[in-house]
Amino acid sequence: MISFRSLFASAWMGIQHDLAWTSPPAALVLRTVAPFASAMTVSIIYWFGVTHSGLTFDPARLAFILVGSTLYAHVASYAWVPTIAIAEGKNLSVFPHIYLTARSTALYVAGRALSSFAISSTTSLAALAVAYYVLSGFLQTTIILTITPASLLMLAVALFANIPAALGLGYFLGAYSLYASKFEWSLPGYVAGLLMVFSGALFSTSILPWGVSTVASYLPFTLFIQASRDALIYGNLGDYLTSLGLCILGGVGLLLVSLWVYLAAERRARRDGVLDRRLA
Amino acid sequence: MTRESTRSVEVSGLKREFKSKSGPVVALDGVSLDVGEGEIFGVLGPNGAGKTTMIRILSTLLLPTGGAAKVMGFDVEHEPEKVRRVINMASGAEKAGYDFISAKRNLWFFSQLYGMPSALAEKRITELSETLGLTKYLDRKFYALSTGYRQRATIARAFINDPKVVFLDEPTIGLDVMTARSIRDFLRSEASKNGRTIMLATHNMAEVEAICDRVAIIDKGKIIAAGTPEELKRRLGAPALVMEVSPPPKDLEMLRLVAGVKGFTSSADDERELSTIQVVVESDAASKGALDAMTASGHKVVASWRKEATLEEVFVALVGSGFKEREEEVGS
Amino acid sequence: MKARALVRLWSIFGEPLWIVVSIGFPVLSSLALSLLYYSIGAGNYIGFAVLGGVMVAFWGNVLWSMASQFNWDKQEGLFEIYLTSPASITAILVGMSVGGIVGTVPTAVIVTAIGWVLFHPAVAASWGAVAITFALTLASLYALGMTLSSLYLVYGREAESMNEVLQEPVSMVSGLYFPSVGSLSPFPFALQIVVSLIPLTLGMDALRQSLFSSPGFVSLWVDLGALAVMAVAFLAIAAFSLKALEMKGRRDGTISVRIR
Repeated sequence: MISFRSLFASAWMGIQHDLAWTSPPAALVLRTVAPFASAMTVSIIYWFGVTHSGLTFDPARLAFILVGSTLYAHVASYAWVPTIAIAEGKNLSVFPHIYLTARSTALYVAGRALSSFAISSTTSLAALAVAYYVLSGFLQTTIILTITPASLLMLAVALFANIPAALGLGYFLGAYSLYASKFEWSLPGYVAGLLMVFSGALFSTSILPWGVSTVASYLPFTLFIQASRDALIYGNLGDYLTSLGLCILGGVGLLLVSLWVYLAAERRARRDGVLDRRLA
Repeated sequence: MTRESTRSVEVSGLKREFKSKSGPVVALDGVSLDVGEGEIFGVLGPNGAGKTTMIRILSTLLLPTGGAAKVMGFDVEHEPEKVRRVINMASGAEKAGYDFISAKRNLWFFSQLYGMPSALAEKRITELSETLGLTKYLDRKFYALSTGYRQRATIARAFINDPKVVFLDEPTIGLDVMTARSIRDFLRSEASKNGRTIMLATHNMAEVEAICDRVAIIDKGKIIAAGTPEELKRRLGAPALVMEVSPPPKDLEMLRLVAGVKGFTSSADDERELSTIQVVVESDAASKGALDAMTASGHKVVASWRKEATLEEVFVALVGSGFKEREEEVGS
Repeated sequence: MKARALVRLWSIFGEPLWIVVSIGFPVLSSLALSLLYYSIGAGNYIGFAVLGGVMVAFWGNVLWSMASQFNWDKQEGLFEIYLTSPASITAILVGMSVGGIVGTVPTAVIVTAIGWVLFHPAVAASWGAVAITFALTLASLYALGMTLSSLYLVYGREAESMNEVLQEPVSMVSGLYFPSVGSLSPFPFALQIVVSLIPLTLGMDALRQSLFSSPGFVSLWVDLGALAVMAVAFLAIAAFSLKALEMKGRRDGTISVRIR
């Protein structure tokens, strides 16, 4: 009961925290701006590159980039929330009080990540939709996306299937933040940048050097983006299920390892007396 | 839940060392104490004495490096989850809360971390805010509360889970007299009516005298005296001697040499060219010795009288007149 | 001014790890977008992505270490100390800018070096013009930062959200990674005029022209003239709005109001 209530209250607090600084609809709109602009940037790069290099414009390739860019931004925006929840919690002095409730702060961190997942799913999909319409008009082309109840359901399942992996990444970053709350503000940039390069968000992982390419292609985030593209662009159920299954498998593995690391870091932080230190 | 003891807090030989570049720093050096149920227990000490370290260990935020401590019979080192079910804490220096969320929602959030059903949490929030005079401000965002009301909300949070033991660190620091008084009244009523144990780390002697059943004075990581405020004052023996001396002495070294003088404080009145010196003495002979020493040093004792020692005088006497220098050292 | 610049530099270089941390996004985004150009067969434009990575470091610095700085200083109680000192607030801002620029140079160098080693982008530079363009771009960009810094004083913690809202859209419309003005721009002419009011837009256009000789809709010299005007104008706006806000703050008693 404590676990459920803690998780629910933490998720609720996350929603309040992210949206209460202005009116919630305005906050949601403003949060859509960044992923929209980011998707527009990479889409225009594609258009600019092919147009001025004498290459053939491929609407399917544009769809590939559009879907990848909104989804990597989605993962980045909620995977780093544990870090900021801890750092800000220390700054506001609430973190020690959360720690000394009956459960580990892992539940709080999970709740905050889940609230961010809900917000980010909404804003990322809104960004994708707006970018799709703006680019279609702007570039006077038909971007090939399959929008049906089935494809949207498949996308929704993929979004949920990626939670363990993103939460796992979040716990790793959170373990860092328990100790070193100096540079946590720069972590989202790192996370977003790494996902841009290694998750196949903008280009196929096959162009990466050998070895790196193999590892990148089996990252749960790559598989999540791949499954989402299978749902929205290619409509291939077999490939979708394969990517989804591997994403869940990898994600759960990552989550278990990272949770173990986080709990160990929490125990060590207590021993070293840094749980209530603002600058640890 | 089986309890091994009726004592709320049992501390035995508690030690904590911190690593630093210049070698290990001993923050707690074998502290032992017991606190009974329903007791308000004050922990007094200069900055860096180890008060906050002890509170952090007892509230499971920090592990000890030696000794043992139990809260409601549960070991703080090995049974932290059981301890956390029965405690809460608050610090006056930290007004813990999420800025953009109302005080009420902040309180509700923390209640949920203790697994309280929402209806019960609402009831508890209502009761606490009525008692603490917070009701009118419950819907105000946390950042928009005045210092006093933010602190009332912080105190409410510390009692939200109906804790058996509450650890408070300077709960009334920076508050006006009326707010501080209402918080003290609240604490006293929680201890007497609801049997809660309250452990209070503070510098505020008046607060300790006003609400604490017992006090421990801690210095350099060790308890140097413990007992009721009255006991401590009695243990130090004779009341204080107060002297008005002219001209104001440059130092008071001559008093240190008098047998039976346990400590002193002084304040200068430049306008009247007088110093008022309070000397904690062991006996009448020591009082006479102090007066003689002052006269012998070339100063005129304009007036002198005896008064009951205050806890502050006891504190200064025990911690020593080198306290000021140490404070400066800690501050630097 | 010198003192504030030194404070910034000490805080950057006093923590050597800061360099490692701050290069993250510029390096990785530049790498990702270079690979995007490469993957679509437009490798001849990789230099644009590398240059974008360099300039995004300065843009990030302007937003997070300039625009928000007084707001954070206000929360920490430092701003009231600035105000009660005899120092000019504008001088403090200029010092902050100089410190920020010097402190970001290592990131810019690392992004350039990595881009150069990995992709060898084709450069046909007029280095004198590049130096002048770079200096004027930074001057106008940091002057914008000063203006934002003064305007953000009106806000509380919302300022951070404003930064998040501004960062990506400005990166897009100012053409950090592709030409957003001139004959290569995908934007309609009217939009190009509007986005030219952001110093970064003309700065990027001029930098691309001077480094890669790509034609712009205005000549390099028009860009440079406009950047110089913007630098002076934003500096004046910053000084004026700071003075006005200080007066308002003193009148309304809001100067020492902190977020918490």
